[in-house]
Amino acid sequence: MKNKIGVYVCMCGSNISDYVDVEKVKAEAEKIDGVHVAKTTMFACAGSTQQEIEDDIKELKLDAIVIASCSPKLHLDTFRNVAQRAGLNPYNYVQVNIREQGSWAHSDNPPLATEKAINLVKGGIERVKHSKELIPIKIPSINAVAVVGAGISGMRAALELAEMGTTVHLIEREHFVGGRTSQWNVLFTTNETGQEVVTRLYHQINSHPKITLYTGTEIIGKKGSVGEFNLTLKIKPRFIKPDCKHDIKNLEKAIEVCPIEVDDDFNFNITKRKAIYKNYDSEFPEIPAIDCEACNKCGECVKICDDIDLNQKPEEVNISVGAIQLSTGFNPYEPAKGEFGYDEIDNVITLQQFKRLIELNGGELKYNNKEIKNIAYIYCVGSRQVDGPNKYCSRYCCTSAIHTSILVKEKYSEINNFHFNRGIRTYGKQEKLYHEASEAGDIFLQSFEEAPPQVERIGNETIVKINDILTNNEELEVSVDLVVLITGMVPREYEGIVNTLKVPVGRDKFFNEIHPKLRPVETVIDGVLISGACQAPLNITESVKSSLAAASKANSLVSSGEIELEPTMAIVHNDRCTWCDKCTEACPYNAIFKIKHDSKEVAEVSKSLCKGCGMCLPVCPENAIDLIGYTDIEMESMIEALIN
Amino acid sequence: MAKINPDFAKEIFKYGNDDFNACYNCGNCTAVCSLTDEHNSFPRKMVRASVLGLDEKITASLDPWLCYYCGDCATTCPREANPGELMMSLRRWLTAKYDWTGLSGLLQKSLLFSLFAFIITAIGVIYYSASQNFNVEIIMHHGHLFEMLSIASVFTFIILPNLFRMWYFVIIKPGIKVKFMTYLKEFQDLLIHMFTQKRTLGCDDSQTRWFMHLILVFGYLALLFTTVVLDWFGTENLFIILLGYIESVVIFIITFIFVAGRIQKNKEVNKFSQPSDWFFVIWLFLLGFTAFIVRVFIDLDLIENNIWMYLFHLIVLVQWAVIIVPFGKWTHFLYRSFAMYFDKIKQVV
Repeated sequence: MKNKIGVYVCMCGSNISDYVDVEKVKAEAEKIDGVHVAKTTMFACAGSTQQEIEDDIKELKLDAIVIASCSPKLHLDTFRNVAQRAGLNPYNYVQVNIREQGSWAHSDNPPLATEKAINLVKGGIERVKHSKELIPIKIPSINAVAVVGAGISGMRAALELAEMGTTVHLIEREHFVGGRTSQWNVLFTTNETGQEVVTRLYHQINSHPKITLYTGTEIIGKKGSVGEFNLTLKIKPRFIKPDCKHDIKNLEKAIEVCPIEVDDDFNFNITKRKAIYKNYDSEFPEIPAIDCEACNKCGECVKICDDIDLNQKPEEVNISVGAIQLSTGFNPYEPAKGEFGYDEIDNVITLQQFKRLIELNGGELKYNNKEIKNIAYIYCVGSRQVDGPNKYCSRYCCTSAIHTSILVKEKYSEINNFHFNRGIRTYGKQEKLYHEASEAGDIFLQSFEEAPPQVERIGNETIVKINDILTNNEELEVSVDLVVLITGMVPREYEGIVNTLKVPVGRDKFFNEIHPKLRPVETVIDGVLISGACQAPLNITESVKSSLAAASKANSLVSSGEIELEPTMAIVHNDRCTWCDKCTEACPYNAIFKIKHDSKEVAEVSKSLCKGCGMCLPVCPENAIDLIGYTDIEMESMIEALIN
Repeated sequence: MAKINPDFAKEIFKYGNDDFNACYNCGNCTAVCSLTDEHNSFPRKMVRASVLGLDEKITASLDPWLCYYCGDCATTCPREANPGELMMSLRRWLTAKYDWTGLSGLLQKSLLFSLFAFIITAIGVIYYSASQNFNVEIIMHHGHLFEMLSIASVFTFIILPNLFRMWYFVIIKPGIKVKFMTYLKEFQDLLIHMFTQKRTLGCDDSQTRWFMHLILVFGYLALLFTTVVLDWFGTENLFIILLGYIESVVIFIITFIFVAGRIQKNKEVNKFSQPSDWFFVIWLFLLGFTAFIVRVFIDLDLIENNIWMYLFHLIVLVQWAVIIVPFGKWTHFLYRSFAMYFDKIKQVV
């Protein structure tokens, strides 16, 4: 039992003290047994106050502290650090939230807000009395990282990790590397093509001894936890012999004779490709691959090229890594049938298709054999949806659309571009492009979300109409040859990974970080990091930034050979446990296992997997599980103080 | 339902401003404009209409004439889209639009055609003078007759029909119903604005610009009266002679300052000059200056032996009367005041 407790009641400027009588809270706290000192402070988080608390702990030899202020989500770590600096175990500290749960919630009734604050503080004091000194747990770790996804973000992260001395397993689901970046031609701001960037990264990766690249590979199994994940990889056959001499000419002939044609998803289905394919000439790895889903194994290609082996079977490989970095990227939003005429009017395509179209087109710009002069771009398709699920802004699309419109005008000077937008968001340096496009005569029309532009086919003409809010809401129309839907980003389909790794997914279906500002590349699964557009819509620069951040984080986690974990976790009292299995069902992290203890079957909690969420506690019929840091006695005495 | 026409912008480029496409509709220009009000919001609306190519809207609008070009909008435009010069370009375009002959547009868009017209008129005058054996008396007499004839015919066949067209575009075509009495009642507004240009004072930049312009207008009108009605070049009346001297001096000094300003580009309003602007100020200067010298020659009895001086004046005069007055910038004198008049009528209705 702690009996020299320091209590600090924060005013939060006036956020708390305007509604909660902090002096009264302090006075009530002082009366409680075990409280050695109670004070009010203007800002508990201010540097000078932190110092004052530190001094109190040292001089008054306090054995526990309670700070009544804001949510522990905001400052738990701040005050734990204060305790630590003063030589007090950080777990002998309890934060009581009298702002979000007190003053802000009850600003209409200050007396009752004060009463609630007093009770909350009393509860906090009772809880801290039973607190124990806890020491972080240390576990060994392997200095290796699995980077999932060999797009620009994954490739860049792999290089960075390897440079820092960490072994990298770079795992790509497709047969080729480069991801989305290889599908874009000229990039803003460097004017390099996506393919050039990918080529450069590939050569660096290929020559780095610490990186192993797996293409056509997915993670199908995971065991273990941070420090040592044991992953099972499934490698799809490429159907090309591994000792292939790269006789590209013969392989090209093999592509020619392949009788099977499927939609080419690299070109967003505006063209067809064969079952044996390569998306573009300089694609890596250099040799083609056979799409095992499309191939009917007719054997035509084998007749021409010895390097093809249709008998290859899928392989399974096991690897061990200390951490996993996910860079699985995004999919472009697929508009619904009829959304702005998509899939109904034949000259309505998506931005991604349009970008491929420009790159593949040689002389005149044609679509469906019709020359294109007037182009309408409709923005925010699949993003910022009022009624749909994608409430977010996809960030990259305004810039990408404008950049594309500039490129197309550079290539074909007679083009007229009409941008039907909901407010242009070319933030940062990208604003330059917006300026450039308008100077070049591109016309920007704007509408609100509730009155989007209309795409109609009247006779042979495709008409786009808008009530333009920049022209006094006047109804304007233009006849166009092509409608380009500026489709945003949605997460890739990655149920496999979500299920195998238990990565938390946000409401927007993108992977979720712990804290968007303070821990933006970590997930609640220790050792699983996220980076690039699998986390949120990001452009290439932003994706690479986040992937480098995640790479550094992964390296710092695994490179020392040891990982420190929070001591807050469940423990099983073996004497009471009867192994009923209820706790394993409740555990969201698969952290509970059955073991034999003194010839009795009992549950055991994996230290490295348990997150201390407490889900197993209430389901245990024998009350055999306790949560360190939140033990029954701590919680019960707190509740008692609250209700009395 | 209006159709967007991206080619219209390219047409306006030929009348001056080719930067307005850069506009991103922030509205700073309208916010800083000291002449815009709740009835007439400009210049952003006109910039927008130009970008979209809503030419019917511009044709029906008086806004370009209500702007007196202080240039504040241009200096504060974050996109350097130069709305002030666009308003000027639209005035040039409207001048062409109102002109039923189509010559105004041709002259403004093509410098080559303008030069051709100026040269042809000069050759015409010389050819005519040669046919009269360069007889000073006859030529000067005919010159005087030409002044009267040209005023009457230019007014009847060009200016009046064009004013009717302006009236049709801004009042009749948009379907504004105006009672006859309203036209009469508000007529005084037309005269006030025509002879005071007082709206210029609403511009923030300077009172001097207004004052100089006012003196120039009065000087010009007075010299016109003195030469045409009082026959300045023929009179013996000392008062009239002196009056003409003063008027011509006023004209060439003020226009000299204006030309110098355009060369130095000392103010926003002077930064962008189209051929039509240069022709207007330079010819007005030459008109005043040559008239002054001709009268000096007459008073010193030099004109008999120096017919070239009068011919020079006559060439300038003819070019002024048949090119600049009907088809050039001169018309802004009428269009501006009629715009104020029509605007008042629209507001009353």
